[in-house]
Amino acid sequence: MQIFLEKRDNTSSWSRVIVLAAALLLVLFISFLFFLAVGIEPIAAYKIVGEEIFLTKYGWQDLLVKMTPLMFTGLAVALAAQMRQWNIGAEGQFHMGTFAMTWVALHFDGKLPVGMLIVLMFIMAMIGGGLWGSVPGFLKARFGVNEIITSLLLNYVAAAWIDHLLFGAWRDPGSNNFPITKEFSVAAQLPTFGNTSIHAGLILAFIFAAIVAWILWKTQLGFKIRLTGDNPDAARYAGVNIRTLTILVFAASGAIAGLAGFSEVAGIHYRLQQNISIGYGYTGIIVAWLARNHPLGVVLSAFFMSIVFVSTEVLQIEYGLPISMVYLYQGIILFTVLGSDIFTEYRLRITRFLV
Amino acid sequence: MEFFIQILIAAVVMGTPLLFATLGGVISERAGVINLGMEGLMLVGALVAFVVMLNTGSYFYAVAAAAFASGIVSMIHGVVCLMLRASQIASGLALTFFGAGLSGLFGDKLMGETVEPLSRIPIPGLHAIPVLGPVLFNQDALVYFSYLCVVLSWWMLFKTRLGLNIRSMGEAPEVCDSLGLSVLGYRFFAVTVGGMLIGIGGAYFPLALTPFWVDGITAGRGWIAVALVIFAFWDPVKALGGAYLFGLALALELRLQILGIDISPYFLKMLPFVLTILVLTLVTIRNNRRGIQVMPAALGKVFFRGEKH
Repeated sequence: MQIFLEKRDNTSSWSRVIVLAAALLLVLFISFLFFLAVGIEPIAAYKIVGEEIFLTKYGWQDLLVKMTPLMFTGLAVALAAQMRQWNIGAEGQFHMGTFAMTWVALHFDGKLPVGMLIVLMFIMAMIGGGLWGSVPGFLKARFGVNEIITSLLLNYVAAAWIDHLLFGAWRDPGSNNFPITKEFSVAAQLPTFGNTSIHAGLILAFIFAAIVAWILWKTQLGFKIRLTGDNPDAARYAGVNIRTLTILVFAASGAIAGLAGFSEVAGIHYRLQQNISIGYGYTGIIVAWLARNHPLGVVLSAFFMSIVFVSTEVLQIEYGLPISMVYLYQGIILFTVLGSDIFTEYRLRITRFLV
Repeated sequence: MEFFIQILIAAVVMGTPLLFATLGGVISERAGVINLGMEGLMLVGALVAFVVMLNTGSYFYAVAAAAFASGIVSMIHGVVCLMLRASQIASGLALTFFGAGLSGLFGDKLMGETVEPLSRIPIPGLHAIPVLGPVLFNQDALVYFSYLCVVLSWWMLFKTRLGLNIRSMGEAPEVCDSLGLSVLGYRFFAVTVGGMLIGIGGAYFPLALTPFWVDGITAGRGWIAVALVIFAFWDPVKALGGAYLFGLALALELRLQILGIDISPYFLKMLPFVLTILVLTLVTIRNNRRGIQVMPAALGKVFFRGEKH
């Protein structure tokens, strides 16, 4: 008997959908086993999670709130990935975005005309994230340094920088020594919808998904990005300045990741504090991968990953499981989706004869 | 002088987990498989070592279990990127998530537990050598084991048929395949053995460096090791030097504060990461300038039998 992979005659988008659905079913099955292993009745757990998320108003709210930063970080990773560049530093760019905007909020509050403060914060978050993102871009473009490693390492530097500020100059004297800044005034807060916690950041995220899609498919810049991703030699031959483009794309990618920080701080926390990102930057990698780096697909996959986040929250509340379980799930999802990809192009054949 | 020696001792101690992980990375990448999941594998190793240590009190069992567990986990990476031909980079990142999640989930109940750290064993005769003696030969058993691993992996890679085959898998898998060698088999072997070493590197954290459990105990060292593999030119002996150089940076992070030098501790925390970026850049520039191609030629490339690329 022999088991082997046989190339499919044609790969339809249906086979992609079916394989993806099968992969996600496999994730559900793995979590079934996992629940059994930690002594939780699996069916009851699915029921509770499903009800809490989809049948309550709070669940839907939370889904949309968690989805917002994931859309930004997913877009950031996807944009760079369109050029076959790995930006796995969205976490750090997120943090440098929050740094730059908080600096504005702390220093310019009350000194600007109405409405200008939040706009300036928005711009600064993009600049903060963009400059941070352009570092690995520059190192890659100028010297060919592996962007995966540098962009990732900068996450640790950015996190230490935020800690430095929160435990030092920016700590609110009235906070009982908690590492948090003082709360921003209303002028530095994004509006929310009614009395929900859903904030304007969600709208911004949709706008940016559209902008990124427009740039990629409707502008010459986007054409250059995609061409360089598909075939760098052809792009070079066609006169694309790959060095400049690399730096630009990394800066833009970082700027979008910085906006994730902007929307979290100005939309939810109204102050800088620790753990504002619960790995949103890293999750952006999975969001982009699931979306196959398509900006509109990012909307769907960000929603999906948001379900994962909120499910973990429910499990934390109901069963006392730690929130870090979300990383385990992300790992399993990414493994499963990666491992199943091959079946869109190949089918498994089992035969009794040698071929 | 005494202070200087103290720093060097600390450099070796801090460099040891990096050394194990870098050796693991070297073996895996020599066979052509990138393992970006080092941070996750180290966390798995750390968790398993800590749990086994708590329950058995045996360092040997703790290290063996850590190696076993991270070997198993790295096999997932092997299955996904070798058998199912997914991107090695993405699969490595999945490994990072997986390890972080696993150690966070099961480490949650371990917070605050402590184990007895490994004690130092002076090697008779050798430990009396000035400077070198206390720095290299008055360390714990895992440090000595790391020396052994350097020698063994160098010998295995460069002096045995097995090593020649592994290195060939990283250079020209098609040729190996046509010679009847199992590309999948050798690569799987290298990924698993590499993963075991990376896990032992992780085990060093709870067994020697921080003998209590904290979330994310490896603190990004796995990523430094990913860069160190490049810095070491995929050579186990150079990995030794690289690991201790970064061990020195990490040791300085601790000691500068004791000296009373007024630097924000958070800047010191950045130091190893900034240093890694700097060194990586310098090494890349150097290689470009001299036109050196040291990276295994088939590194990261998907190989599938019977298909032309």
